[in-house]
Amino acid sequence: MPDGSFAHPQERQFNPYSENGGTILAIAGADFTVVAGDTRQSEGYSIQTRYAPKVFKLTDRAVLAVNGFAADGNMFVKKVKQRLEWYRHAHAKDMPLRAIARLIQTMLYAQRFFPYYVYNILGGIEEDGSGAVYSFDPVGSYEREACRAAGAAQALVQPFLDNQIYFKNQQPPAGSSHPVHLPLPDVLSIVIDSFTGATERHIEVGDGLEIFVILAKGRSTQGFDGRSGVQELSTTPEGDRVFVIRRELKKD
Amino acid sequence: MFLTRSEYDRGVNTFSPEGRLFQVEYAIEAIKLGSTTVGVCTKEGVVLGVEKRVQSPLLVSSSIEKIMEIDRHLGCAMSGLIADARTMVDHARVTSQNHAFIYDERIKVESATQAVCDLALRFGESVHDEEAMMSRPFGVALLIAGVDENGPQLYHTDPSGTSVRYEAKAVGSGSEAAQSELQDKWHKQMTLKEAHILTLRVLKQVMEEKLDQHNVQLAQVTSDKGFEILDEVRLKALIDEMPV
Amino acid sequence: MSIMQYNGGSVIAMVGKDCVAIASDLRLGVQSLSIATNFQKIFPVTDRLYLGLPGLASDVATLHERFRLLTNMYTIKEEREIEPETFAQLVSSTLYEKRFGPYFIEPVVAGMQKTPSGGYKPFIAATDLIGCLNFAKDFVVAGTASEKLFGVAEGLWEPDLEAEDLFETISQTLLNAVDRDAFSGWGAVVHVITKDKVVTRKLKGRMD
Repeated sequence: MPDGSFAHPQERQFNPYSENGGTILAIAGADFTVVAGDTRQSEGYSIQTRYAPKVFKLTDRAVLAVNGFAADGNMFVKKVKQRLEWYRHAHAKDMPLRAIARLIQTMLYAQRFFPYYVYNILGGIEEDGSGAVYSFDPVGSYEREACRAAGAAQALVQPFLDNQIYFKNQQPPAGSSHPVHLPLPDVLSIVIDSFTGATERHIEVGDGLEIFVILAKGRSTQGFDGRSGVQELSTTPEGDRVFVIRRELKKD
Repeated sequence: MFLTRSEYDRGVNTFSPEGRLFQVEYAIEAIKLGSTTVGVCTKEGVVLGVEKRVQSPLLVSSSIEKIMEIDRHLGCAMSGLIADARTMVDHARVTSQNHAFIYDERIKVESATQAVCDLALRFGESVHDEEAMMSRPFGVALLIAGVDENGPQLYHTDPSGTSVRYEAKAVGSGSEAAQSELQDKWHKQMTLKEAHILTLRVLKQVMEEKLDQHNVQLAQVTSDKGFEILDEVRLKALIDEMPV
Repeated sequence: MSIMQYNGGSVIAMVGKDCVAIASDLRLGVQSLSIATNFQKIFPVTDRLYLGLPGLASDVATLHERFRLLTNMYTIKEEREIEPETFAQLVSSTLYEKRFGPYFIEPVVAGMQKTPSGGYKPFIAATDLIGCLNFAKDFVVAGTASEKLFGVAEGLWEPDLEAEDLFETISQTLLNAVDRDAFSGWGAVVHVITKDKVVTRKLKGRMD
């Protein structure tokens, strides 16, 4: 009241969540995995930054992409990394990919009634040397898949991937069958096409693209060694290796 | 000797001026009163063997349980206060299940052993609001056998919370003689079958009674079949095969 | 839930080299319940002009009849067939008449447009439910699977596709988009329009 009294009850609200746009995507090959995300971070119609990474290297064989509410995403990655460090100390080894996947489920489900507002995609190399992608919902339901898109442009990218990766609605030539895994150059082309397409038609996608490539132990860099903007992130040239390819996307 | 100890062997968390924790040392002594327990590690798997002291003809020998399963890939044999071991095995089981729940993988033998050792040190006087804790050290030694990504392994833990890995280890009343026999007979290329026989032979040497399928127990942990306690039929077959 | 999603359904049109294509799914539903698998959403206007009407099913029928009346009136008065671009303007103004109580339809127009030199050039257009026109050079989409259609089309479409390639492109785009949409699917129909013929094909999709 103007006189300073509180004659009427007043209600105020705080919304603990927001949505920061962007899109992530991962595709598993026979002996490699590709995990990618754009770098635009937005709130409503405003761009907060043109470079906010959404894809993070966890170990030499695991990469995690997080999409949704950026604050939750960053905190979640921080906590996963902390748990990986503790695991290293307790068990004297890097956590295997499927163990990280299960850990993420338990961490997400622990927040069942105040969830991390984040969609996670985990990509990397399994202990048997195969490429693997695990996708999660915000409360920890998860599944191993060959490919997955999530985020603002999921609706644009996922059906394209169904068509190009799973060969959905395509008949194989007589007497042959569709390949189960695509070669790395094909996968990289599909990833780049997916993001340029999503950038074209979705306002929350664009600015930059980070493509993480995880190669199984002993696999050559054949497939992307000619490309520009490649950087190796592995701690050792033995074992599984991690690379990142950085590219520009349209900024309008 | 006893004069110097008299003041410092009361509190479980008080060092003597010489830097010793007498209650822990006494607990280690308690194990030497326990029945002999043997563990042998081979490339094919780990064998555990215990002597069951059947003190009375009225005692049902199958009710003596000195080898227990911790998980499918982990087994444990004990010597000392068996009741204390149950608490520790319970802890190991919970730790192992919890690891599988969180990480979707089998816990390593070393990690399971370490979890048991962590528990072994949790004794002392609890503060008023705290949950009641163990008031004294555990009076038992464990031989933890298991198979993981590093192959078959055998660990020994004692009441001080120390764990050491062995290729072959004996604990309990006959441990001195048994250990030197193991040292003599164990070799790298040993098969699981040879390990069974060696375990039985070592037990036979240190036992007062005549060894038969009722007064010993044998168990093994292998990578394909995991933990299993050998039944009396298999045990008898092995005993019959033993060289005289 | 919006009335635009009540019956479900999607339409897409694409430009090729001297040809255009327009395609739709065949589902009619009431929210999550599927009612029919042969519901027509694309209608011929002239020999070289087709109209797609995704949206509320009752308005599909109403607008189809209304545009039939309006094009017949045009043909009688002008003594010639309506051209695609003119028809698009007609669609726009008809919808805007109902600015504050609109038809719940987002029309798609596709056809071959007569040029002053006597040839034909491809023409596509789409509007929102109050008639705001979008003349696209590549493709237009509408309906419950529009987001998915955008994504796949953006990945598959390229300029100057021949009629057969355009057919494959629009078919793959539609099929893969509606497979990820709960309100569209259950078969599809594709019309490929060239200056002297229209090829209509029915597609089998996944029926779930």
